[in-house]
Amino acid sequence: MNKIELLAPAKDLAKAKIAIRYGADAVYVGGKLFSLRSRASNFDLADLKEISAFAKQYNAKVFVTVNIVFHDSDYYGIKEYLKFLEKIGIDAIIVSSPALIQIAKREAPGLECHVSTQLSSLNSDAVWALRRFGADRIVLGREASMDQIEEIARKVSVPLEVFIHGGMCSNYSGRCVLSNRMTLRDANRGGCAHSCRWKYRLYDGKEMISDPKCLLSMSSKDLRASAYVERMIRCGIASLKIEGRMKSEYYIGQVVKTYRKMIDEIYEKGSLSPERLAYYDEELSKAENRPADDGFLSGECDSSKHLYGVNGAGVTHDYVAYVRGFDVVKNMAEIEVKNVFAWGDEIEVFGPDIDNERFKVQLMFDEGWNEVKIANRPTQILHVRMPFAVSEGDMFRKVRRNDD
Amino acid sequence: MELLVTLRKKTLLDKIAPIVDGVIIGRLFTSAYDYSLQEIKEIAEYCHENYLKCYIAMDNFISEDDLETLDAYLSFIRELDVSGIYFHDLGVMERAIPYGLLSRLIYDGKTVLCNTLDTAFILSQGIQSAVISRELTLSEVRHIVHNNSGKVDMQIFGHLRMSYSRRKFLTNYFNEIGKEYDYLNKDTLKLVEEKRDYALPIMEDDQGTMIYTDYIFEMFRELCELKDDLRAGIVDTLFIEDESLIVQICRDLARLTPENKEFIRNNLIYNHPDNYSTGYLYQKTNISKDE
Repeated sequence: MNKIELLAPAKDLAKAKIAIRYGADAVYVGGKLFSLRSRASNFDLADLKEISAFAKQYNAKVFVTVNIVFHDSDYYGIKEYLKFLEKIGIDAIIVSSPALIQIAKREAPGLECHVSTQLSSLNSDAVWALRRFGADRIVLGREASMDQIEEIARKVSVPLEVFIHGGMCSNYSGRCVLSNRMTLRDANRGGCAHSCRWKYRLYDGKEMISDPKCLLSMSSKDLRASAYVERMIRCGIASLKIEGRMKSEYYIGQVVKTYRKMIDEIYEKGSLSPERLAYYDEELSKAENRPADDGFLSGECDSSKHLYGVNGAGVTHDYVAYVRGFDVVKNMAEIEVKNVFAWGDEIEVFGPDIDNERFKVQLMFDEGWNEVKIANRPTQILHVRMPFAVSEGDMFRKVRRNDD
Repeated sequence: MELLVTLRKKTLLDKIAPIVDGVIIGRLFTSAYDYSLQEIKEIAEYCHENYLKCYIAMDNFISEDDLETLDAYLSFIRELDVSGIYFHDLGVMERAIPYGLLSRLIYDGKTVLCNTLDTAFILSQGIQSAVISRELTLSEVRHIVHNNSGKVDMQIFGHLRMSYSRRKFLTNYFNEIGKEYDYLNKDTLKLVEEKRDYALPIMEDDQGTMIYTDYIFEMFRELCELKDDLRAGIVDTLFIEDESLIVQICRDLARLTPENKEFIRNNLIYNHPDNYSTGYLYQKTNISKDE
């Protein structure tokens, strides 16, 4: 049996490399064209070529999103683009247009076609229909419960992909154009303004019936499906997908590493104890900037699965530095500052090969080797004395004190 | 072009039967219509007796749990001998094949059928027609319709569906604020965003929640040039309470010509003032954040 795939998002080259280094079996990225999430930095052709080559060194795969809802003029240049993707060794494209599957099969047959969640496939017959259209893999809609996912997996032989973590559209994906009306930005062509996360007054006729202190919001909590990973492995899901092409390198690193370890432990031990699941949930919570739950996996989404009184994502300040290198002679880490930390702060280091090792900041220097007591300039390069070795790509997060 | 009307209330049937070519009905299981199976049967029989076409709407997503119910519904529909079935979930297409209903199907992807190639592809599956998305410019509509002549349907009047969720936004909201309110299947509720004044009709039923445009879409001036190539034009009556207005709209659309289109449009706006709009026909929506 093939081991389940861990699929991570990346909004740029650096984050794609982090996802792969931290244990993703595959990454999905958007090109500058034809891709949702237009606000993500996205990859130009040279970046795509580089990440494809980089991934191969790690035996990882790269999927490219071509999942806008195409209007006629959007097809311009698509054949050349698909041929280019095939030529540089991209493994698959993620699509929402059935016609595009036909074009890809004809013009670039080396590319697999994965049907995006934009088509909200929620039953085995929809999966079969898409298979008939030529799809090699189907991403199920996030409205399916775990029982339904198991039933679909039992009935179809098509590889299935399921979202396990990250932000959730509150509406069926692809069927929401609120953004078009509110901001003239096409939600299905990369312009989603997240109008569902705004606040609304509710009227019946001319009478306002909403509570002025708590207006209506469609905003959903994020998804965290850690408790279902074992069942997904057992029912034969091909790929577990993390959402978040807009997310930070810290989020990508932490979430990918946690699910990587969790999946490996399930395969190694056969199952996960409640204590170990609690440990992994605690790890995932370190990267979350919005409350999370299991979405539709456990059934309907009641009011406890919505966010009222919260407009959007909060910002996590726990992530304080990215490790650029390590001097083994001086025991000094070269870091790039991301958020404020200071002399005396307790720091937790995590990375592809290091698990939450802690130290107290005691000695820091700037690039001119002047001693500094506080790191408060984002992107500043500093040297930090370490009690243990670290590696490029590791990350520092500040351990919160009770009074923080 | 067939002129079709969504029949939200049975009382409208006698009034529009002589004017339109057909009606669209359905049940809550798969659509925003609230008819029982018996009522659907009665309406279908009425349509047969009155030379009116009867279409069934199945414009919701189907969960894996509901496939058996879908089977029973398709079996029931087959016996009605309806003119067509509007479907939203691709699973319906697969499921309809053994019932011999494939050629009756009409795909209505609502927001996702936006180009000529996808339209041609879905039609090549052997279905009857496809409803193009509402978020298209007139130039895009022309291109799709002319290239798939006689096999494309289009909503030509009414509020446009903007979002569809399985989440029960109203139930959850009233639970959150601890308020009891009669809101299910109610068509008088509207959402107004904090910083904008659009009043967006919102409706929740057993299947989830749908939100519609604040404006009523109309295309009296544009329809004439498309009529010969469209298979059907759909008047959606949801949230339009005034039955006399619906009847008037149907009359106007049935007698629409290049010569009277301006008069008809102006007459409507004068006699039934409301928030009318040509939607996206002249308004592209692919503006990026930086523009």
